[in-house]
Amino acid sequence: MTASLTLQSLVLGVLLGGLYALLAAGLTLYFGVMRVVMIAHSALLILAAYIAWFFERQTGLDPLLSLVITVPLFFVAGVVMQRLLIARLRPATLTMMSVLLTFSIALLIEGLLGFVFTGTHRRIQLPYSGTHFEFFGASIAVVKLIAFGLAAASLAALYVLLKTTRFGQALRATIQHPDAARLVGINTDRVAGYGFGLGLATAAIGGTALSLDSTIYPSLHWHWIGPLMAIIVVGGLGSIPGAAIAAMALGLSQSLLQIPLGTTWAQTLFYVALFATLMLRPQGFFGGRLAQRF
Amino acid sequence: MHSVSDPRPGRGRTAVRTARVVGLVALVALVAAFPSLAPDSFILSVGVVIASYAVLATSWNFVGGFTGYISLGHAAYSGLGGYATALLILRADVNPWLALALGGLIVAALAVPIGIASLRVRGASFVIVSIALVLILLLVFQSWGSFTGGSNGLRVPRPFGDDVLRPEQHERFFYLHAALLAVLLLCWWAIDRSRFGMGLKAIREDEDKAQSLGVPTFAYKLVVFVVSAFFTAIGGGMYALWFGYLDPIFQFSILVGSYMVLMSLLGGIRSLFGPLLGAVIVGYAMEFFKAQYGDTQAHLIAMGALLALVVLFMPDGIIPALGNLVNRFRPKAASIRELTAEELTVQREQQEVRG
Repeated sequence: MTASLTLQSLVLGVLLGGLYALLAAGLTLYFGVMRVVMIAHSALLILAAYIAWFFERQTGLDPLLSLVITVPLFFVAGVVMQRLLIARLRPATLTMMSVLLTFSIALLIEGLLGFVFTGTHRRIQLPYSGTHFEFFGASIAVVKLIAFGLAAASLAALYVLLKTTRFGQALRATIQHPDAARLVGINTDRVAGYGFGLGLATAAIGGTALSLDSTIYPSLHWHWIGPLMAIIVVGGLGSIPGAAIAAMALGLSQSLLQIPLGTTWAQTLFYVALFATLMLRPQGFFGGRLAQRF
Repeated sequence: MHSVSDPRPGRGRTAVRTARVVGLVALVALVAAFPSLAPDSFILSVGVVIASYAVLATSWNFVGGFTGYISLGHAAYSGLGGYATALLILRADVNPWLALALGGLIVAALAVPIGIASLRVRGASFVIVSIALVLILLLVFQSWGSFTGGSNGLRVPRPFGDDVLRPEQHERFFYLHAALLAVLLLCWWAIDRSRFGMGLKAIREDEDKAQSLGVPTFAYKLVVFVVSAFFTAIGGGMYALWFGYLDPIFQFSILVGSYMVLMSLLGGIRSLFGPLLGAVIVGYAMEFFKAQYGDTQAHLIAMGALLALVVLFMPDGIIPALGNLVNRFRPKAASIRELTAEELTVQREQQEVRG
């Protein structure tokens, strides 16, 4: 393995890890506010990618512009989904039933995408699709860099939102202790709805970033949900920084392992990490008290 | 369905018991007569498919029904059972029926570490592991072509000689599946009435309380999980022997696992016959869909919509709903009954409103 090849996969790993981190942050938000394991997250990711592709094909404009539509749309869809569907479930069986509900949403999205756009593999062709630049002997595609920039910027915005605003404080309080949050006057139902909206918004951004340099097809979401789930468990359920760190670490390792093992076997890394975490440290590496009980 | 028998006024009780016995006899007679009633070999094969689904859903219900832990990845165990059976026959030249039993035992042994990893914490991690397991097995069985046949699939030799024709094969396997189902139902029923079953149901209703009352929650969950994996593997192996062909895409498919969930949930996971009823309804609907629309994405949409409807509007399933309907016309039970944590909360709230 030459030095430049290693550097190349290191860079690619960081770029991939950024996208993983954004999506895992979304999954963590759902879990934090409602204790919901959102299986439809990656299906929504693919849906956003399809919207970006369709937008580009219909208008000829840059697919990044579709964010103007998809982010607000997905945010509203998230609030609606939480208020109308998830909140209807009985609290006693919420975790299990919400898994099934979000699973059925994932199936519906996959089925509808297949129905409307057929199973054909789709890819966006951009004028700058093939553009590369050299970085100490490693060649990096511009589109990958844009995707990473988008993910990093959104993650930073999410961080600022959670840490500095009143809403962020309310959201974190709801995640930590819903009952106590209600006692100090936080409308936890509304906050949970917005938390869901934010989670879906990360899927919208991630999907657009994904559409820039990947081939998409309706059943692609199964390839994403497994790694993402592994990331949030390794990071500790409910911990956003934990999810981001785990995403970076696993994304990097996957990229490095691809060289000796090939893409398929490198993917199994996520599952090995998942089982190892549950055996050694079931609460995850950055999760606290919250994760222990789930 | 109350497993703690409640002494109701005499006449109603005997009537219910008689109705149950008659229903059971009718069910057995129907199953026994099905192969001779089926007009052609295709209908017979649909019957085998439905019987196989009933076996898988009932096996799933050992974990789902008793503990309330919903596994979306039981296809992992049916797939492993099928592959273990097939590989033992092909690579080690073992007798098919022995291979089936050995396959079940191997999968049960594999389920022990998986169960330890996924049951130490509560539901969310369990679900995540169950999904991850199917995805990882799909990857492994597709890539490890030299051993598993890879994406080309694996042909399983038939256990009966070549002189046994196809309709005859279907008929034999229908009875084999039915016999396996009977064993499963008997086991479920026995656990349901045992102390072990009470402990499991306590976990389902409130795991913290069960633990503080001295139920060894982790050990109980692990045992029933391994039992469920064993039966699922036997079901998968039986299917492999009948179908004669294994493809990782269909064996390790999240969809197969979710069919088991949907069937059990639709029929009612707390009822003995719930998964069987669900399997008949969903299995028939699926075969109908396949015949009508072929292999389009329509079945995904139908499956997703049906699952969402059941979860939102009928999470207890058909059998409890029918049971409530019947109970309206019966005298109110006064003695100890089984209540779910949900029902208790509702009762308490009503009392608070009154008081």
